[in-house]
Amino acid sequence: MTKETPALNTSTFYSGSDHAVLMLHGLSSSPLEMRHLARYLNSEGLTTCVPNLHGYSAGTPELKMEAWVTAAVKEFDALSARYPRVSVCGLSMGATLALALVRERPSAQAIVLLSVTLDYDGWAMPWYRFLLGWAYYTPLRHRWRYREESPFGLRNEALRAKVGRAMQRNDLSEVGPSSISLPALHEASRLAASVKKTLAALKNDCLLIHAIDDETSSPRNAQFVASNIGSTVMRTIYLDDSYHMITSDNEREIVARETAVFLKESEAASSAEGGAKPVVSKALARRLRQMAAIGK
Amino acid sequence: MSALALCIASGVRLALHPFLGPVMPGVAFCIAAAMVEYFFGLIPSLTVMLLGLGIADYLFVPPYGEIAVINRADVMLAISYPLVTLSTITLIERLRRAQFSAELIAAVALSRYEMLLRADNERALSRRAVDETHRLVRHLPHYHDAIILLQAVDRNAAQGAKEMAPGRLFASAHPDDIERLQRGLQPGRHRVRIGSGDGVHKLVECICERFTTHAGEFLILRRVD
Repeated sequence: MTKETPALNTSTFYSGSDHAVLMLHGLSSSPLEMRHLARYLNSEGLTTCVPNLHGYSAGTPELKMEAWVTAAVKEFDALSARYPRVSVCGLSMGATLALALVRERPSAQAIVLLSVTLDYDGWAMPWYRFLLGWAYYTPLRHRWRYREESPFGLRNEALRAKVGRAMQRNDLSEVGPSSISLPALHEASRLAASVKKTLAALKNDCLLIHAIDDETSSPRNAQFVASNIGSTVMRTIYLDDSYHMITSDNEREIVARETAVFLKESEAASSAEGGAKPVVSKALARRLRQMAAIGK
Repeated sequence: MSALALCIASGVRLALHPFLGPVMPGVAFCIAAAMVEYFFGLIPSLTVMLLGLGIADYLFVPPYGEIAVINRADVMLAISYPLVTLSTITLIERLRRAQFSAELIAAVALSRYEMLLRADNERALSRRAVDETHRLVRHLPHYHDAIILLQAVDRNAAQGAKEMAPGRLFASAHPDDIERLQRGLQPGRHRVRIGSGDGVHKLVECICERFTTHAGEFLILRRVD
């Protein structure tokens, strides 16, 4: 098993089984914020790749959202050429980018959406957030940047203090950038708008994980995706001890475990041998019957 | 939606105008604002309330159809209508937020319950594998002399690749039967030709049992005593 030590904004690749997971980090951020999840999935036998996308990741020139999708598709194709199964997992705006990617590549095995962000409508968003869309068309476009402030997407206070210190020292921390430019926010809004229109066409197995106290994107984002996506295999998990950065916050172990379980179940269900785990728990069998009865 | 609610409220109040006259000019708009708040949220309901105030004052407060004249009835409407409507909207908004919060907490509880059930299933599978391992461990020495062959099934491998180990009676079994069983051994009853010392093969009743253990799945074919 080949393992590379991730630097702050370099791509990360952990080699594993023939089921690869392409992991997309948040807007203007780095592969670092997916590190814990990537390692866990790899320890469960999956191949994980967290690329640094040109035009989207921190440290690269800002490009249009079409270039973000093209870069993500290129990474997906590179994985598809080597692995028979490729799933896509995204965090925050990375989840929205994952939806756009799966629209271009419907052959993806499964899609995992963590804190999916179609609108920045969480409780910590500043009151003037709605003005930023218009500010893009003013000279402020290249002068003003949206600065991240406490709680930095973290409910864990110790980690929040550490991230706060890191953000004072650098432009980038393990949970994202200290500021985001207006053009990047504008492109993110365009990406979200384009994804909203095509959700119904996506049929891949889908896992949604969202914190109910998400301070950046409210749970309405997850509810919107859950009620509009065309997937027949759909699982939604809500968390109550995390904020936006669920891959780093208090419930990161739950997020990692449930992601691994879902990806393996999706793989087993689609395999020719039908290697899905049998249901021997009577309580689980009863719950599955209930869900089937109400057509969830 | 606000415009539709305003139209309906205005229509209803206009229909009742011959009976009500100048009495309760804002009630229809108050009800419309409350219903819009319940179904569509705060901003549309505030829009209905403000526009409703203007419509009520213009159409249903005497002198009808004039906006320039301000008298005691206008002041009464301007005070009572926003007071009652805002109080109603505020209460409904608070209740809707509490309801939304409760629904999210219920969603968390449901998520945790389903995670618990999945973990419970994993535990049950592990327990079953432990029981099966114990059964296999007891089975092997007990039927040691009656075993014809053992087969390990790799469920993950393509075509369910199999590894086979011969038992004590393997060498005595007829080669054609061995080949047939190796091609597709299934749990259940089988009849196998077993050779005796004088080179004659006799049909013998055999049984194949499946053991699903930690280490994988095994099939054991043995003679029935």
